[in-house]
Amino acid sequence: MKRLLPSLRAKKRYLAFELISEEPVSRGDLVKEVMSSASSLLGDVTTSECDIKVLGFEDWKGIIQCSHTKVKETRASLTTLTRVNGKRATLHVLGASGTVKRATEKFLQNCTAFEPEIKIKPRTAEE
Amino acid sequence: MGKPKFYDFCVHAVPDGENTVEQLAALARHFGHSGIALANHSDKLPQSRPVLPSTNEFEVFRGIELVEENPSKLHSLIGKFRKSVDVLIVHGGSETVNRAALENPRVDILNHPAFDKSSGLNQVLAKAAAENDVAIGLALRPLIHSRGPRRVRLLSDLRANLDLARKYDVSLVLSSDAMSCFDLRSPMETLALAEVCGLEEDEALEAITTVPERIISRNRPVPGYIREGIEVLEEGDYF
Repeated sequence: MKRLLPSLRAKKRYLAFELISEEPVSRGDLVKEVMSSASSLLGDVTTSECDIKVLGFEDWKGIIQCSHTKVKETRASLTTLTRVNGKRATLHVLGASGTVKRATEKFLQNCTAFEPEIKIKPRTAEE
Repeated sequence: MGKPKFYDFCVHAVPDGENTVEQLAALARHFGHSGIALANHSDKLPQSRPVLPSTNEFEVFRGIELVEENPSKLHSLIGKFRKSVDVLIVHGGSETVNRAALENPRVDILNHPAFDKSSGLNQVLAKAAAENDVAIGLALRPLIHSRGPRRVRLLSDLRANLDLARKYDVSLVLSSDAMSCFDLRSPMETLALAEVCGLEEDEALEAITTVPERIISRNRPVPGYIREGIEVLEEGDYF
């Protein structure tokens, strides 16, 4: 099928995030939780307008795609994520950007400064 | 205007919550808060007063959340703790407790005012809150942890209180009411959730920036402060 013209494609925002959780979680479980918390807070209609997709997730960090007019709603629905696969977790949005490349460069590549705190959290919860 | 400073004014640490003050403070700082208030419930206070970690960019304020059913006992508890804390929160939940808290100008915040079949406020209480400058606390923890009918109920209570607060000009405070570090949320996410729940953008921003700052400045008089409206500006030998 012919691809849509760039001017006709829906505009997106890319939210870089980090996950703080008790135990490592898989991408599949995270996607399930993100979608269920969004449809629980916003309802199915608004969630479909938000166009939420988890693009990539590894090493506690990842990128979520959403519609550029619904960033606030998407962030609010990510706030209500409390558990992934039964283990407690918090999703912290590091920032939003218009392209995947910029979101990765700006928020994901140089966040080594926060590394100790991210590593401390999973351990402390188990103690 | 610089970057606004965000505060989270109701955080519970051990033995009330799960994590220590240091862990909560480290995470809140990482999330971009400028300060948190440690407000353990008054029935689960630690034996000794905890040492609060503070640096010049991040401050942990001393607070308390009073839990008491009896209004006269509540008033005496307020008198007992007022001097030693920066933030005094009352855990509401019945008509008499809400009323006692909102009619006492020494109280800073009333949390969880809702009780069965009522949002916890009415026009009389809202007027009292505005007169005595007691803020209404909007806690995030119940909102993010409940689903379905329970959350619907919480949100409609929140809307009812919001309408009253707007009409009588009562200040609002957004707080996480965190029991563990997994309940903490960053300022931007708190704002987004508050806006989706019905607050205006500026109301939500005020509720985590200026209102907490005002509470702190009210309870920490600057040097030279004598009483409301009277202040020594320049020290000198007048006599």
